[in-house]
Amino acid sequence: MVDQAKLREVAREVISREDVRLLIGYRPGTYGFRARPAFVESAEQVEELVFTPACVSNLASYLVLEEKPPLPRGAEPDNRKVAVMVKGCDSRALVQQMVEKAYERDHLVVLGIPCSGVVDMARVEARFPGVLSAGSIIREGDDFVLSFDGKTEKVPAAELLADKCKRCRYPTPLVSDIMLDDEVERFAEDDFSDIAELEGKSVEEKWAYWAEKFSRCIRCYSCRNVCPMCYCEDCILDRLKPVWMRRSVDISENTAFHISRAYHLAGRCIQCGECARVCPVDIPLMELNRKFYKDVEELYDYEPGLSTEATPLLSTFSVEDREDFIL
Amino acid sequence: MAENTRETFEPNIVAFLCNWCSYAGADLAGTSRIHYPSNVKVVRVMCTGRVNPLFVMNALQQGADGVLVSGCHPGDCHYMQGNYYARRRFTLMRRFLEYLGVEPARVRMSWVSASEGSKWKEVVEEVVEGVKAVGPMDQFKRRQLNW
Amino acid sequence: MADKILKKDKAAEALKELSKFRLFAPAKSDDVVLFRQIEDPAEACLDYANSTVPPKKVVFPQTETLFRFKLGNPELREKNVEEEGTTVIFGLRPCDARAMSIVDNLFSWDYEDPYYLKRRELTTLVGMACVTPPSVNCFCASVGGEPFGTENLDLLLVDMGEEYLVKVLTDKGGKLAETIGSFMENAPEGAAAKAEELAGAAREALSRSIDTSGIEAKLPALWDSPLWKEVSAACLGCGICTYLCPTCHCFDIQDEVEDAEGRRCRMWDSCMFREYTLHASGHNPRPTRKERTRNRISHKYSYFPGKFGVIACVGCGRCVNLCPVNIDILEILGKVVEA
Repeated sequence: MVDQAKLREVAREVISREDVRLLIGYRPGTYGFRARPAFVESAEQVEELVFTPACVSNLASYLVLEEKPPLPRGAEPDNRKVAVMVKGCDSRALVQQMVEKAYERDHLVVLGIPCSGVVDMARVEARFPGVLSAGSIIREGDDFVLSFDGKTEKVPAAELLADKCKRCRYPTPLVSDIMLDDEVERFAEDDFSDIAELEGKSVEEKWAYWAEKFSRCIRCYSCRNVCPMCYCEDCILDRLKPVWMRRSVDISENTAFHISRAYHLAGRCIQCGECARVCPVDIPLMELNRKFYKDVEELYDYEPGLSTEATPLLSTFSVEDREDFIL
Repeated sequence: MAENTRETFEPNIVAFLCNWCSYAGADLAGTSRIHYPSNVKVVRVMCTGRVNPLFVMNALQQGADGVLVSGCHPGDCHYMQGNYYARRRFTLMRRFLEYLGVEPARVRMSWVSASEGSKWKEVVEEVVEGVKAVGPMDQFKRRQLNW
Repeated sequence: MADKILKKDKAAEALKELSKFRLFAPAKSDDVVLFRQIEDPAEACLDYANSTVPPKKVVFPQTETLFRFKLGNPELREKNVEEEGTTVIFGLRPCDARAMSIVDNLFSWDYEDPYYLKRRELTTLVGMACVTPPSVNCFCASVGGEPFGTENLDLLLVDMGEEYLVKVLTDKGGKLAETIGSFMENAPEGAAAKAEELAGAAREALSRSIDTSGIEAKLPALWDSPLWKEVSAACLGCGICTYLCPTCHCFDIQDEVEDAEGRRCRMWDSCMFREYTLHASGHNPRPTRKERTRNRISHKYSYFPGKFGVIACVGCGRCVNLCPVNIDILEILGKVVEA
C-alpha cells in the first residue's frame, strides 16, 4: 500500500513546481467507500489526496478530455505540465496516448502507483449495502479491510477485486517520473478463457447473447467518454454527415454503436476496464474489447500500451500477416 | 413478394472493388462474357485501403446479406501498401462480427487482379453460395423497428 | 374504495390478469433492474430497490415516432398513440410517479403534447411504497416527496411482509383494482395504521437531506461562481445523470429515411452532451462541462421551479449512485447554499 503521507508530500512538491499547473489524483468520495478524481491546483489542496483500493478511475482519461474553448483575445494558453497519478493499467493508457502522439512526454509528470488491485465497487456495495458515512478500504495481505460506521470487516481480496485486476499483467506503471511505492510483481495472468468460451458458442447463441445485452443500451455514451483512448475531437457518433449511426435507440443502431466503439479500440484498448465499470446497464463491454485484444495478440503478437516507441497496430502491417480467409 | 425460402433466397451482396485490380477484373469478366451470379452490387473504390471497416457494418445494417471486399494481390497494390492495411482491418472485423453472431460467410475478402476475369466469377459464385447457405441477414439489419 | 390486501402468493396471478393490458413491471437482466413489458409474471421482480432506468421511458420513450411519410405522397401518417392501449406500470417507486407529474408541466405548457399526454391518460400507475429506502442516496423528503408518497399514483402497494396493502387512490386505480379484485381481500382493521407506522419508519430511514429553501433565488446569482469549475472538474460529459433522471425530459427530433419511406421521430437528448447547444456556426454557448453542469443544476433547482413552481428533482438518487466519477448533486447544492 502506498504511504498516504508520502503521497501527499510528493504531490505537494510536484504542484509547487512552477512548471506544473495541475495535479490529477484521488480524494475520498461523497459517501460510503467511494473515491473520486481530485484536481489539485495549489499546495493547500494536497491534504485531501489519497490512494486506496477504492481509487478505481483511470485518470489518464482527463489528459485528453480537457476542453479548450477559444481563448480571449490576447490571452496565452497555459502550456505548463500536468501531473497525474496512475496505476499499472492507467499507465498503459498514457503510453498508448503518446504512441498516438496525443501529447509529448514532457507535457506530463507521472506519479506511478504500483497497484495490487482495486475493488469492484458494485461488489463492495452489494456486500455492505447502505453505508453512507465515509468508509475506508485498505489492503492487508490477501484481504481487504473495510472500516465503516465504527465496524471493521476483513474480506478475502479475491471476493471484492475488480475482474480486470484478477488478470492484470502490468501492476507496476510502465511509465513514471516518480514511483510512489515499491514495484509490485506480476501476480496474475490473462488466458482469455472467458473470451474463448464465448467464441466456442454457436452463431445463434452468440447473437442471442449480444442482442440481449445491446438491447439494454441507453446510449448515454458513458463508455466512450470515460475511455482514455476515446478522444477524437469529432466522434463519428456525433457526426451528422454522414450519419454513421442514427440517434434512435434500437437493436440495429445499438449494435452499430457497439461495433464502432469496440472496433475503434482494436489494438488500442489497454484493458483498464473503465467502460464496463461505468455502464449503468451492465453491458459487458470488456468482452468486446478483449476479443480484439486476444485476436491482436494471437495474430500480430501485439499488445498496445507497452512502449512509446511502438507503431499503432492498424497504421502498420507485415507482409507475412495471415490471410487464410481471403479468397 | 415471394417468400425467402432457402431455395428461392437471392442474397444481396455489396462488393467493394478496388479501381486498379478487382474492378478491372470484374470488367474483364463482363467483356469476356463470363456469366456470374447477379447478386453482387459493385461499389468502386480507389483502393481496398480506402474501405472503412465500418462500411461492412453499415452495409449489413442497410440490407446487405453479405459484403465482399476485393483488391489487388499482395505486392501488386497500385498504392504499394493499401491492401496490406486492408487485410489487417478486415481480418479483425470479420473475426469480431463472428464473435457477435454474424456468420463469417457474410464478410469475405478476395484478391482478384485485372487479368483474373475467371477468378472473379469463382469468387462471386463462392460468396453467393456461402451467403445462400446462411440465409438472409437478420441480426442487426435496419428494419422499421417500432415505426 | 376501501383498502385491500393482496397476498404475495397471489401477486403472480394478479400480474397475469394485468398482463392483458400493456403491462410494465421491474424485471432483472443480469443484475440490472429495468422496467420491461411483461407477459409472463415470472419475469417480474417486485423485490427490488429501484430500476436503473426510470419508468419515464414508458410514457416518454427514448425513441418514438411522431409521424411517417412516403415519397410522392403528401399525406402524413401520424402515430396513433391510442393504439398502444391501456398501459399499466406496476411497482414503480413513488418518486418516479411524482416525477411524471413534474414532467406533465412541461408537456402541457405552451403546447399540449398529444403523444405524451395521450400516453399519460392511457397509463395507470401502480406504485410500490419504499419500506426501506432503495439507496443511501435517496432524499425524496427534501424535495417534496415521501417514501410512501401517493402523488400522481392510482394505486399504492405497501409491502407488509406476507402481503401487500393496496391503497386505491383514484377512480382509474379503482377500476384497475376491480379487474384483480378476485385476488384480493378486504384489508383487516389496523392495516392502515401499520402502514402508517411503516411510512414513519421509512421517512426516518432516509439518511440524506438538503434544505432547498432559497436555492432557487440563489442559483442565478452564482452564475460566475468558481464553484462550477470545482464541481464539474471530474465530469466526463456522459449522459448518465440526465438519461437516468426521472424528470429530465429534453429531446431531439430527427428524420429517418428508409428507401422511399421515412419517419420523424423524437429521442432523448442530454444537456450534458457537447452537441446539445452546438450551433451550426460552430459556436457553442456552453462550451465546456462547467457550463453544462451549471445548467443541469440550475434548470432543476431554479429555472424549472421559476416557471412551474416545482423543483425538477424528486430525490431518487440515481444520478449520485450511477455517476462514474461520484459527482453528487447534494454536495453541489450544499455548496450553493454555503456560497
